[in-house]
Amino acid sequence: MTVGVEYYVLLSMALFSIGLFGVLTRRNALMFLMSVELMLNAANINLIAFAFYHGNLTGQVFALFAMALAAAEVAVGLGIILVLYRNFRDVDVTVPTTMRW
Amino acid sequence: MAVFQLAEWTAMAPALILAGTALALFVFDSISPHSTNRSLLAGTAAGGALASLAVAVWFIVAGVGTPTVDGGLGEITVLSDQFVVDQMALYFMIIVAIVTALIVVASYDYLVGHAYQAEYYSLVVLAATGMSMMAAANSLVTIFIALELASLPSYALVAILKDNRGSVEAGLKYFLIGALSSAIFLYGISLVYGATGHLQLDNIAEVIAAGDADPYGGLLGLGILMLIGGFAFKTASVPFHFWAPDAYEGAPAPISGFLSSASKAAGFVILFRVFTEAFPLGDQMNALIGFDWTVAFIILAIVTMTVGNFAAATQNNVKRMLAYSSIGHAGYALIGVAGLSADGGELVMGAAMMHLLVYGFMNTGAFLFVALAEHWGVGRTFEDYNGLSRQAPIACAAMAVFMFSLAGIPPFGGFFSKFFLFMGALEASAANTAMLAVAAALVVNSALSLYYYSRLVKALWIEEPATTRDRLARPTGLYAAIVVAAVMTVLILPGFGPVVDAALDAAVAALG
Amino acid sequence: MARLRPKNEQSTLICVGYESPNVTEMNDWIAIGMLALVGLSIPLGMMVVSYLIRPSVPETSKRATYESGEIPTGGTRIRFNIQYYMVALLFVVFDIETVLLFPWAVVYQDALASPEYGLLEALGPMLLFVAILMIGLAWAWRTGAVQWAQTRTQAASDTDRQ
Repeated sequence: MTVGVEYYVLLSMALFSIGLFGVLTRRNALMFLMSVELMLNAANINLIAFAFYHGNLTGQVFALFAMALAAAEVAVGLGIILVLYRNFRDVDVTVPTTMRW
Repeated sequence: MAVFQLAEWTAMAPALILAGTALALFVFDSISPHSTNRSLLAGTAAGGALASLAVAVWFIVAGVGTPTVDGGLGEITVLSDQFVVDQMALYFMIIVAIVTALIVVASYDYLVGHAYQAEYYSLVVLAATGMSMMAAANSLVTIFIALELASLPSYALVAILKDNRGSVEAGLKYFLIGALSSAIFLYGISLVYGATGHLQLDNIAEVIAAGDADPYGGLLGLGILMLIGGFAFKTASVPFHFWAPDAYEGAPAPISGFLSSASKAAGFVILFRVFTEAFPLGDQMNALIGFDWTVAFIILAIVTMTVGNFAAATQNNVKRMLAYSSIGHAGYALIGVAGLSADGGELVMGAAMMHLLVYGFMNTGAFLFVALAEHWGVGRTFEDYNGLSRQAPIACAAMAVFMFSLAGIPPFGGFFSKFFLFMGALEASAANTAMLAVAAALVVNSALSLYYYSRLVKALWIEEPATTRDRLARPTGLYAAIVVAAVMTVLILPGFGPVVDAALDAAVAALG
Repeated sequence: MARLRPKNEQSTLICVGYESPNVTEMNDWIAIGMLALVGLSIPLGMMVVSYLIRPSVPETSKRATYESGEIPTGGTRIRFNIQYYMVALLFVVFDIETVLLFPWAVVYQDALASPEYGLLEALGPMLLFVAILMIGLAWAWRTGAVQWAQTRTQAASDTDRQ
């Protein structure tokens, strides 16, 4: 019995959609970061499932790189959120509105 | 052949020099933390950028990337085809190095009294390394890594004025949109990988040409759309342009110039490379993914230039006006991809490359003038700039050059690149009549842009100053960078021949 | 979606433990079920027995979070020192970067065995990678990112000593 690759794609698409929903609805910057992580990991699931499916390792190795980059992105993001809190006393992304068109 | 033979990895020297410079700055900051030796830090960064520029120019003159039949050295591939150094890569490496050098020299004065000198310069050079690598990246892996290497320092640079609310807000917005778009981009990469089983651009094209990807047209089409989303963020084009006005307005002005020129050019080079190498146009491609991807770019180009220019026309804040105009110029450069067709498009893509080079000078210069105004502390709106020419005629003359060149008035470089874009769009309309609409949009938007660009020139030169000002300082670094940018914007006119040749050669090589 | 069938046999994903069921294998599952049942019933039974036989002496101090000794003060939702986040940030970056060592470690022996690559080609890139990480760590150290936050008096006594 094998699990077809389409189920992995469905799983990752569900995860991606959950992440996208979180990005669009959450106002807390930290929840936003977590939602983006969900989206990135959805892509990682895809890469690894397709690597199995195609029988080459490119996708798996790229998933490792993607994880490392996601961690770096989180680090930069948390740093920005820290200075945001220091300036606005809040991590709500709708609070900073000093610039509007 | 060359007189002497270098190892293949040295072909990446323009990017490697930048990486080494960034690390040297880090080591220096580790040895003596919180150093305020501005001359040494800015000098090192500028030296690295100029060395990178010199090596890239040397390579292009020595014939790296020129096809071997024409007596050149041919394309050089590095790390088993993960990077390819061809004419297009070197051309964009040159743009990145020029903008970096201008920005670093200007930052020397802008950063007086700033707390994070070494960090600032090393982040700028690291971001430039990423952009330089984007120019040469030849697989979706290296494209994504280089893109993140360019993006992550940029987020930090935009927010580097830690106690300035505008800067932090700009950094937050830039980061949020950037993180979202990079997630979408990565998902798009995973779908393209799923459909074709490869991440290397030429292998993707081979699989598509062989018909092995035929059952997965839907996945591939969705993946391509998501990739376009990632490119749109990097180039500040329409679906993901929201960050640009806020990020450019809040960021330190030299960083705004850096992002809107170098970062945008780097975004375009991967856009060009991915769509010419991996997804070549043709009936097979259209049948596979169910749509013609040039249509997407035609729509994006028209919408982007219209949104950018109309929004710019309503601004009162000079920096924000430049930010929206930068979105408009992204729309102009998108014509270079929209005009591609199965058997042509060299002219229009070459024209887009020319525009990006000229834009690198004139737009950076314009943002550096804003940096100068911030350095003086004169204010941010058009009214605040009234009558500045009384105190600073040289800088204001340079600004007038930038404005007229951005608008595309004949004696300056911007006219030529826009002219070539227009001609290229007309030529491409033979294959695709929708390009006529793009050409018309280009003309209409250029005319509109003349309104708001000349409004700034009028404020500088004709209006009476609202308040009496003291004598304005003349910071050497900022002045030097602005004057060099202005001189280059003018000089590029007689020197346009080589630029045209280089850009067209690069476009032909990329399409061929 | 139904078109997405695996191309070749090696690349299919095996769902572990799913084989044609027969009676002997069902016995294994019964054993596991029994273990779960016993595992749950022992603690539940002890709680029930102790409830039945213990004396009931209600007292307010017994309802406190920590019954013996200290009187609890304040809530648990306190703000952590910012230094925790600084260390966490560094950890996140440097910890995840080491994941890139794994693919290198997988191919390292093969690369050494093959005549194409010498020790320099196999080991050099990773040494370079680690060296770049070391520069980052050294920078973080020198600029005080890993230094624990000091109270004012501590900082003052430090400057006195210097």
